[in-house]
Amino acid sequence: MALIPFRGRTMPGATLDTLREQMNDLLNRFWSGAAEPFGLAEWAPALDVSETDDAVLVDVEIPGIDPSTLDISVAGDILTLRGEKPNEGGGHGRNYHRVERRYGSFTRSLTLPASVDADKVEAKARFGVLSIRLPKREESKARRVEIAPG
Amino acid sequence: MAKTLTTNTDPVNVPVHAESRTGELPECYFVPATDIYETADELVLLADLPGIKPDGLNVTVEDNILTLRATPAQAEKAPGEPLLEEFAAGEYYRAFQLPADFETAKIQASLRHGVLTIRLPKSERMKPRRITVKVE
Repeated sequence: MALIPFRGRTMPGATLDTLREQMNDLLNRFWSGAAEPFGLAEWAPALDVSETDDAVLVDVEIPGIDPSTLDISVAGDILTLRGEKPNEGGGHGRNYHRVERRYGSFTRSLTLPASVDADKVEAKARFGVLSIRLPKREESKARRVEIAPG
Repeated sequence: MAKTLTTNTDPVNVPVHAESRTGELPECYFVPATDIYETADELVLLADLPGIKPDGLNVTVEDNILTLRATPAQAEKAPGEPLLEEFAAGEYYRAFQLPADFETAKIQASLRHGVLTIRLPKSERMKPRRITVKVE
């Protein structure tokens, strides 16, 4: 899945401007070949990524996934999440009225904005939201530069 | 379908003027993705509610309308400069018209890994009954 550019918090009742921007963006991604074929897009959980002075923070919505079955790996500056949302249903004698939740396995990778210390990555999951904290390496931490008095 | 954001003027997903029965609706809310299936003796509803703690959840049944409302404890946004935002924390709301009577006293709800499961046992008279044909 392609990374979606951050546009700030969109307000509910999105304006036509945002709609037009999103439409243009969709078309651009389509013509550049980056978009998945329509209808074939694989399922992947939604991510929030933010960066502080000393860490990269990734929040993932994983309702219905047992956190202990998730596979989180960091290779270089690529973070990869793998997992599977099992379908607890699908048994015999079940008559479905509505199926809106997505099931199945997913893989999602993203390029981290800074180089991180893979040994110190922490992940915890609470109430269907996974939070990953990836501390930056010393050399990529933000540093305040003092200006020498002249 | 992932959760979608709806405003309270949107007629979708707010059947039978449920808002007048359940009090004030939030101004905008998320509609959780929901699966509903039926077995011989119960109706089961599964709703994805990531980020919701049990104390922020409110499930009611009134006049055959099942209402879910959930409020996240606080806007648990990670600190720092946002680089990618694909989801937001906010209130969840959804109402369903139930087809017929259920044992409302025996409705069970549980929350696990961000998924709410509601089990509504069917009343005795709704359960399918096999009728034996006597051979004379």
